[in-house]
Amino acid sequence: MEIRLSSILLVAALLSGCSWFHRGNKGPPEVVAEEPQGEPSIVEPQVTRRVVKTPKIKAKDFEVGAYFGALSIQDFGTNPVYGVRGAYHVSEDIFLEGYVGRSKAGTTSLEDVFPDITVVSNSGRYFTYYDLDVGYNVLPGEIFLGRGRAFNSALYVTVGMGDVKFADKDQFALNFGVGERLLVTDWMAIHLDVRDHIFETDLTGRTKNVDNIEATLGLTFFF
Amino acid sequence: MRRLLALVLLLQALHVGLAEAADKYLVLVVTDPYLEMHSGPGRGFPIVYVIGRDELVTVLYSRTDWFKVRAPRGQEGWVRRSDLSRTLLASGEPAPIPPYPDFASHRWEVGAGYGVYNRENLVTTYADFGLTSSLDVEFVVQQAFGTLDNRYIATIGLRHTFVPEWKWFSPTAGIGTGYQFIQDVVPPAPLQNNNEMAYVSLGARGFITRRFMWRADWRHYVVFNNQNVYEDLEEWKLDLAVFF
Repeated sequence: MEIRLSSILLVAALLSGCSWFHRGNKGPPEVVAEEPQGEPSIVEPQVTRRVVKTPKIKAKDFEVGAYFGALSIQDFGTNPVYGVRGAYHVSEDIFLEGYVGRSKAGTTSLEDVFPDITVVSNSGRYFTYYDLDVGYNVLPGEIFLGRGRAFNSALYVTVGMGDVKFADKDQFALNFGVGERLLVTDWMAIHLDVRDHIFETDLTGRTKNVDNIEATLGLTFFF
Repeated sequence: MRRLLALVLLLQALHVGLAEAADKYLVLVVTDPYLEMHSGPGRGFPIVYVIGRDELVTVLYSRTDWFKVRAPRGQEGWVRRSDLSRTLLASGEPAPIPPYPDFASHRWEVGAGYGVYNRENLVTTYADFGLTSSLDVEFVVQQAFGTLDNRYIATIGLRHTFVPEWKWFSPTAGIGTGYQFIQDVVPPAPLQNNNEMAYVSLGARGFITRRFMWRADWRHYVVFNNQNVYEDLEEWKLDLAVFF
């Protein structure tokens, strides 16, 4: 393998060397014909040409924002969670979404009863995740506030996968979610989300799938 | 708190600023008997206003297949792409509504998906730039979740689509090189944390709808290390992507 590789490299080097030698052989020098000195044959137009520029339509398909809420880490209590999200709206029904979030786990019941026992280290209590999702707007519509105000909204479902880093270990995690997007204006939206991060862990002794459900409130901007 | 307030103010200023700066919006002439304006960017939202023939409509911005417009008397609403594309410029030329990118000759792809790398779960993302309609440069960043280790893989490669005109299923092949970073989870630690790699790939791609597409790939990696024997790895994956 090594010998073959190096021989290929050698041949390649030789070939490039050959082409280097050919570099010197230039064609005959080009003859530049001189313009005859005389009167200009074309009359210069006195009218300046008007350049018509049609303005471009700006697409506002991207959505970026942040969220805050509570994450229930199975066996480790419910704790605050915060994160950032970004979405690209492909069509009026489908969007692609990605987010990154973080929470810090509390103590298990075991640790509460026996304070000397530690299930995870202090640094391992951070629950950090990222996810890549596909979303579908199931129930688009309008929400009315009193007589004179209507806000566009959509109930959507998301499904995706990503990474959950918990107890200093990265786990492959699936997630399922339901959310409500309420557009306060056409460029700003409030989100209410419930999402479940599911992954397999053996942290508490036996291998099992754990559900980590979060409920969050978010604010996003379209651009 | 004050910083947050400042941020909100800044965002607001930015937004207002952008709106002010772009005071030259596209103005179109309605040629249909009327142009329907919906209350939201979706097929189910009710029609709240109509603009009559030969009236002017100002296009503010677009979201997916809908365009936010302003009527001559200031009412705002959303117009469907197919309706707006039948309007004209003041000069009589057809409205410059950008068409969907042609799948056979698109330039950019961005996507993500699931795969199996060395028999482990894989989360993968990629960006792909078309040099020609059949030759692409692709960048891939992915994470493999092993029971013994956690790997981050980044590759760059060339990808050839044999028949780009085939819309629903078109085979591809590629070669490339990359880098893998191994984070040890369960001892013993790997002999090397960083490896250079090379790969060959076979795959396929196809159109789904509008600017949505799928892509499947099988890859064979050769991992270069300081041992006598190179490591061979297999990977397959399925991506969903958006093309521009």
